[in-house]
Amino acid sequence: MQIVVCVKQVVDPEMPHSAFRVDPEQKRVVPPPGTPPVLSPFDQNALEAALQIRDRLGAKVIAVSMGSSLARPVLSRTLAAGADELILLEDPSFRDLDSFAAAGVLAAAVRKIGEVDMVFTGRQSSDWDSGITGCVLAEELGFPCITVASKVEIADGQVRVERVIADGFEVVEAPLPCVVTIDSALGELRQVTLQALSAARKKPLRLWKAADLDLPPLPPPRCELLDLFVPKRETNCEFMDGDTPGAAAARLAERLREEGLL
Amino acid sequence: MILELKDYLDDMKRCARCSLCKWPPLAQMKSWRFSNNCPSIARYNFHTYSGGGRMALGLALAEGRLDTITDELLNIVYRCTACGACDSSCKYNAELEVLWPIYSTRAHLAGMGYFLPEHSMIIDSLRKEDNTLMKPKADRGKWAEGLGVKDLSKGEKAEVVYHAGCLYCYDPELSAIARDTVLLLKQAGVDVGIRGSQETCCGSTAFQLGFQGEFIKFAESNIDDWNAAGVARVVTSCACGFGIMKSVYPLLGRQMKFEVLHITQYLDELLKQGKLRFSRSFPARVTYHDPCNLGRKSETYVPWKGTEKKVLGQFILREPEKAVSRGWNGVYEPPRDIIRSVPGIQFVEMERIMEYSWCCGAGSGVKQTMNDLALWTASERIAEAKSVGGEAIVTACAWCEQNLKEAVRQTGGNLMVYDIVELVRQAL
Ligand code: SF4
Ligand code: SF4
Repeated sequence: MQIVVCVKQVVDPEMPHSAFRVDPEQKRVVPPPGTPPVLSPFDQNALEAALQIRDRLGAKVIAVSMGSSLARPVLSRTLAAGADELILLEDPSFRDLDSFAAAGVLAAAVRKIGEVDMVFTGRQSSDWDSGITGCVLAEELGFPCITVASKVEIADGQVRVERVIADGFEVVEAPLPCVVTIDSALGELRQVTLQALSAARKKPLRLWKAADLDLPPLPPPRCELLDLFVPKRETNCEFMDGDTPGAAAARLAERLREEGLL
Repeated sequence: MILELKDYLDDMKRCARCSLCKWPPLAQMKSWRFSNNCPSIARYNFHTYSGGGRMALGLALAEGRLDTITDELLNIVYRCTACGACDSSCKYNAELEVLWPIYSTRAHLAGMGYFLPEHSMIIDSLRKEDNTLMKPKADRGKWAEGLGVKDLSKGEKAEVVYHAGCLYCYDPELSAIARDTVLLLKQAGVDVGIRGSQETCCGSTAFQLGFQGEFIKFAESNIDDWNAAGVARVVTSCACGFGIMKSVYPLLGRQMKFEVLHITQYLDELLKQGKLRFSRSFPARVTYHDPCNLGRKSETYVPWKGTEKKVLGQFILREPEKAVSRGWNGVYEPPRDIIRSVPGIQFVEMERIMEYSWCCGAGSGVKQTMNDLALWTASERIAEAKSVGGEAIVTACAWCEQNLKEAVRQTGGNLMVYDIVELVRQAL
C-alpha cells in the first residue's frame, strides 16, 4: 500500500503577537526574522494518520510538499517523524498558487508516483484556512473524498472514516483509492527522537520541478486578494444610566437597536 | 524585532579580517598553550569558524550572495558556542559588534527555515513542554518536593522568586543543588518562593540558536508572570538564564518591576551581611571558571541607532555616542569573593579569566547537538585548571558544571568540579 501525505510549509501560526506584521503593499504576512516556517498543523495530523496506518498494516508513506522556496530542515521533519520518502515539488512557477492550481500540481505528482492507495491532507492549512485543496485534489484524481476525519481505518479494500460533526461524529466508508482530509482530533504528530533524526538523513528526498511533472496548464487564479490588513480593534465603553435597573435596561436595549445590534 | 542582520551591515563590512578575535588581547596573554579564546577557530582552524569569519558569512547572507544554504554552511554557523569571546577581543581594538551579528545570522537563517534537525527537537520541546530538555512540563516542580517552599503558582506570595532553570529542575544531580539553594536562602531568612510546575524556560537557548520568535514568547510571559506575582527579586542559579534576563529581556520594551540577581550575587550579599556564616574549612587549591553568560554576556545590550561620520579618513564618530558592551561589567567579583571567604581554601586564577575567559563549550545548544565540540572545549579548560595546580574547579552555571564533569569523567582525570552552592553548603 502507498499513502501520499500532502504537507504545506506555512508561516508559524504561533509566532508572538508582538512580532506579527503585514506588508500591505505586497499583501503578505512578513515572517519575522528568527521565526521559521512550520509544517501546517493539520498536515502534521495528516502525517500521523498515515503513520498509524503504516504501523498497523504496513505501507509506504510518501510526504509531498509544493512551493517556490521550500525549507529542507522544516520539511525533513516528515522523514524524521517516520515518512519513508519526501518529494519536494519546487519551482519558481509554484509561487503563491491558489488552492485550485495547487491541487493541480499535487495531482500531477500523485499520478507520477502511481499506484497510490490513499492521499491524506490536512483539513485546511493554517495560513489561509480555505480547506479547498484536498477536495479539488480528489476531483482532479477522480478519487472519492472524505473531509475532516478524526479516525481512519482500512479493512477489505475499504476505508472507514469517523468524521467530526457539530454534535459528535459520523462514520463514512469509501473504496480505495481515496482522499481523506484530517482534523486535529486524530491526534498530534509523534515526537521525533534523535535516532529517528539520524535515520532520516538516509531516507530519499526527491526534487521535482514543473518540467518533471506531466502538468496541464495551471488554471488562472479563481480568487483575487484585494487587501490584507490587521483589523483594528476598538473598544468603546458606554454606561447606561437610569433611575431604576429596569430603566437602565430599557435604555441599553434602545442603544443596541440604534447601533443595529438588536 | 531585536535580531535583524541588516542592522549590523556596517559592523560586518568594517571587519578588517585582522583575526584579533581569535585570541585574548596580547596584553592579557599569559602563555602560548592557553592563548586561544575561541573554541570554534581553535578546534577547526579555518577562518570562517572565527568571529571575523562569521561576520563575512553574515555579510554574504545579508547581501544575498549566498543562493544555496548547504548543510556544511549550517554546520559552520552552529559550530560556535556563542560565547562572545570574539566580541570582547574585537572590542579591545575595533569596537565592532561581533556576537550580535552571529545571533542575527542564525535568526536570518531560521527565518528562512534553515537550522539543524536537532534544533527542531529543542524547539518542539519548548513549545510542548516549556523546557529545552524534552521533559514533561508537569514534572518541572518535582525537584522541590518536601522542601516546604512557597509555590507562587498556587497563589502564595513571596518577596523573592527563585528561578531554578531547566537543567537544575530536571537533572537529578543538579536538582540537588537547586534544593540546597532554597535551603540556604531559607536559612538566611529570605522570603523565597518558586513557580513549581509553572516555571518555564528563560528562552536563552532559543535566542542563541536564532529562534527569536520562540524566545520572545518565553521572555514576555516570564516578565508578565513575575510582575503579576509582585516579587521584588528574581534569583536564578542558571547563568544562561541570568545572562539573557539581564542582557536581552530589557530590550523587549516591557516594564520589569523586579531586580534580577544571580545566586552568586545573592549569596555574596547574604555572607557579607552576616546572614550566612562559614564554620567549616575547605582545604583545597581551587580555581574558578567564569560562565560566559554570567560574565561578559550579562551586560545589558544597548542597540545603537544613529549617524556615523568618518573623520581624518579613518575614525568613525557616532552621533549619538554608542554604548559599547565590552564585557567589563559582568558578574566577576561576587563568586570570587565567596570562594576567597571560605576558610582554608587556596584560590588560584586560571590564565583566561573574566571577559577573556575560555568557554566551557556547552553554550547555545552545542552540548545537545555537537557534544564532541562541547567536550573538547571543556577538556581544554580542565587542562588549564590543572596547569595552575587546581585540585578543584568551581563554577556557577548548570551547563558548565554538567559539561566539565562529563569531560573529567571522559578524560579520567581527578579534578573535582563543584557548583558554587555546593561549596557554600559544605563550608557552612
Ligand atoms: S571581527 Fe574584529 S577582531 Fe575579528 S577579524 Fe573582524 S575586525 Fe578583526
Ligand atoms: S562566539 Fe565564541 S565560539 Fe563563536 S566565534 Fe565567537 S569566540 Fe568563537
